Amino acid sequence: MIPRNILSMNKLIKYITLTSILVLITGCSSQEGNEGSVTVEEATQQSTPVVDNLPEYPVSELPEGLVWLTNDEDPVFADPNAKQGGTFREYLPSFPLTLRTAGPDANTGLYSHLLANQLSLIDIHPNTGNYLPSLATHWAYGEDSKTVYFKLNPDARWSDGNSITADDYMFTMDFNRSEFIVAPFRNNYYTNEITSVKKYDEYTISVTGGTAKPKDDLLLYYAIGPTPRHFHKLDENWVTDYTWLIEPNSGPYQVTTIEKGKYVEFTRDWNWWGGEQKYNKHRFNIDKIRITIVRDPETAYRHFLRGELDTAILTFPNYWHEKTNDDVFQNGYVHKIWFYNDYPQPKTGIFLNMDHELFKDRNVRYGFAHSINIQKMIDTVLRGDYERAHSYHIGYGEYSNLDVRAREFNIDKADEYFKLAGWGERGPDGIRVKDGRKLSVVLTYSTQLHTDRLVVLREEAKKTGVDLQLNLLDSSAAYKNMIEKKHQAAWLGWGPSLRPEYWQHFHSDNAHKPQTNNITNTDDSEMDLLITKYNDTSDANERALLSREIQAKIDEIGAFVPSYYVPYVREGFWRWLKLPEWHGTKLSTLVFDSMGLGLFWIDEEEKERTLEAMKNNESYEPVTIIDDKYKVEL
Amino acid sequence: MAILNLSPLTIKTLKRFRSVKRGYWSAIIIISLILLSLVAEVFVNSRALIVSYEGEWHFPTYGAIIPGEEFGLGYQYETNYRDLKQKFKEEGSDDWVLLPPVPYNAFETDLEAGNYPPAAPSFTKQHYLGTDTVGRDVVARLVYGFRIAIFFSLFLLICNYVVGTAIGCLMGYWGGIFDLLFQRLIEIWSNIPFLYVIMIIASIIVPNFWSLVIVMLMFSWMGMTWYMRTATYKEKEREYVMASRALGAGTARIIFHHIIPNTVSIIITFIPFSVAGGITALTSLDFLGFGLPPPTPSWGELLRQGIDNLQSPWIVSSIVTSMILVLTMVTFIGEAIREAYDPKKHTIYE
Repeated sequence: MIPRNILSMNKLIKYITLTSILVLITGCSSQEGNEGSVTVEEATQQSTPVVDNLPEYPVSELPEGLVWLTNDEDPVFADPNAKQGGTFREYLPSFPLTLRTAGPDANTGLYSHLLANQLSLIDIHPNTGNYLPSLATHWAYGEDSKTVYFKLNPDARWSDGNSITADDYMFTMDFNRSEFIVAPFRNNYYTNEITSVKKYDEYTISVTGGTAKPKDDLLLYYAIGPTPRHFHKLDENWVTDYTWLIEPNSGPYQVTTIEKGKYVEFTRDWNWWGGEQKYNKHRFNIDKIRITIVRDPETAYRHFLRGELDTAILTFPNYWHEKTNDDVFQNGYVHKIWFYNDYPQPKTGIFLNMDHELFKDRNVRYGFAHSINIQKMIDTVLRGDYERAHSYHIGYGEYSNLDVRAREFNIDKADEYFKLAGWGERGPDGIRVKDGRKLSVVLTYSTQLHTDRLVVLREEAKKTGVDLQLNLLDSSAAYKNMIEKKHQAAWLGWGPSLRPEYWQHFHSDNAHKPQTNNITNTDDSEMDLLITKYNDTSDANERALLSREIQAKIDEIGAFVPSYYVPYVREGFWRWLKLPEWHGTKLSTLVFDSMGLGLFWIDEEEKERTLEAMKNNESYEPVTIIDDKYKVEL
Repeated sequence: MAILNLSPLTIKTLKRFRSVKRGYWSAIIIISLILLSLVAEVFVNSRALIVSYEGEWHFPTYGAIIPGEEFGLGYQYETNYRDLKQKFKEEGSDDWVLLPPVPYNAFETDLEAGNYPPAAPSFTKQHYLGTDTVGRDVVARLVYGFRIAIFFSLFLLICNYVVGTAIGCLMGYWGGIFDLLFQRLIEIWSNIPFLYVIMIIASIIVPNFWSLVIVMLMFSWMGMTWYMRTATYKEKEREYVMASRALGAGTARIIFHHIIPNTVSIIITFIPFSVAGGITALTSLDFLGFGLPPPTPSWGELLRQGIDNLQSPWIVSSIVTSMILVLTMVTFIGEAIREAYDPKKHTIYE
């Protein structure tokens, strides 16, 4: 799953760090919506907690000589022609289990929608990548390479009208360190990664982290978000009491109605404090967003074709090429857009477990990589639409090593390496044998959607004498299998991160033990050294250089076979949805993203005209937009 | 025993079975299909039947693979016999290749860049029913899928009937505490939701043919017990059982030599329906993705593909037609058997 938007830093940090995301493992947890409806509004009114003793926080002394920075020079990216109004209809595959954004089950369903409406101290400009003011107007770097100072915007308000002050950031620490929220990752993150928040006056704070970082990264990691201290009463009942309560937020939309098991509605906060800020103008144009529960993507697509949903994601090749032969496309009622973005890509491919006897030998790993015909898979079942990945981190700018080339499918080279490893002989079925054992590799994966792709790999691998056995497990079982290092080879993708993160995946600290992300069991002293240097340096150039070296090292070890990446999004949309001329931004992971970037709008008159035309069987020119201005040629 | 010696009664039953024409012909067709599927490699296979190369004849159908090197193709993996045939033709050599009528197996993906699966039926490419979403031949998937489904269901049936009949007969014959215990046990056991158990098991281990038979057996042996229990209760009170008991026959002898032969009509009548049930069960499990692991050829998987790709109608129409044909024929057989064993026609109760 790719994050819906990147703008909210707080959201991103949480997104990436809180979820050990397996991109290919996107099995939806089965969630049961109860019968009957509860309007959250009512529930909230009845049970909004009254927090009597608001915590008092000490005031520290602001150091001298801080250089305050801000940015209002970057170009705006929203379209001044945007019209406000209308209802946007989207869907979710299962009903959310909670409206909390912390605690058990929070990382499901509405998580990204809710987080999009909780702003952070600063934003990132989606085209230039520079920092923009958000809840903070100015920022300044401390001398220790660990601290950032922020001046808060005194106009910022919670959706319930209270102002957002330094105390709400102080409370963020109390909240996230509390055991009552039952979120060990947050507890740990706000203890070890973010070590303290200090208040200097009502509208000035500082955030300090555990390790020194390059200036550029400091803001990326330490721009936390506030937590409404007047709303949360932290005690052992917090998890249950707050499951269906609507937290005051700082963003443009709020949940207004939920019908359990059926839909959730977000409505514009008409008093939103941020609407007049330079970079928020002409964004978030929709008045109401209705998220209906449709359990099956195929059914959702049918809903879309009937005009009951406004957009559909068409990134999968069979959708883009075949399922769009429908009349609504031919008659021009629905348009298609293929939009290239330039965004950190998930790390997808085959991860070999080097603790497994077979893969202890580097030659076998190399031979295996030469037996995997990713290109054929892309050219055939994926219709040439996806791009071959060559290295571990793609789309991280200077941090990506573009010189690394993946080992291509090559029968002779595979043969050479296998012979070096003693696997020269072939059995009666054409599969290599050594000491009476067959060269069988069990490839664990987790979604039926990928079976077609892997079948191609299996058939091609036979040619080099490798018997690739496909092991489809349910997503949570597959995750457990991999994280406990019981797999032999794993087909998966890790979600993208803000910056390449190597320690969790490749440091020997995490090898040979269950429940860590080093699923290749990489245990290499040179690698350890590089990673330690990478984590310790606070010089951005050196860090990027180390990152590139580490990627070359990953390639040399050969326990990761890169597969493909998808540097674009494809969507279908009803013609009454309007986009700016530039369609999206460099970081747009969705073009029609109502709450993240919120650049599009609904033209109500166009909608009426279109519905009228459909009634009268009049048609328009079919439209397919291909926008590749952000396409990166590798 | 009656069945082996073909007593007049059996002959009469067989005659009556034959007189139900559609059941009789269905039986012949299904049995031939099952027998043919055993040698499906001869009809539907990527391996050639005969290759004549440099004066020597090769029969690649069964046994070890013949690497391409053998025929001067310069690779070590299995020969692509379609290419070989093409090559011989182009060279105009005396060598020749005889391919099966459908020259594809159920696993190979017939893919070329620029020509995306699924491909529509084509006689020139010999994909008579087209290809599936990975470019595998639909005929091959159907044929090998049928072989797996029918044998799965036959094995399941045998296991179910052995266990079900044994326990059912004992419940009826012994009665008392044993009967009572098993009745409760079966009642409780039948209330375990089978599909959930399968889903849980399939998420932990990858099921294979035999483990799936065993799991299914665990949840389907109960059906037969009730019928056999009732039948045994009835039979054991009749004079011939009393007579043999008076002659000193033991439990096993009475059950196997007297009671079962006399209740065989019940067992046989249920067989066709169990076969249909077995096929449907495997197909639905595969359809839901909890059956045999990919890339095993399977009807359920094909059905899933067909439904997900309605714009390629050859997939869904092939599999639906095949299922309807097979299941209808099995049902016809069932009808004919029931007719043949109809007690109203050959048993006289005093």
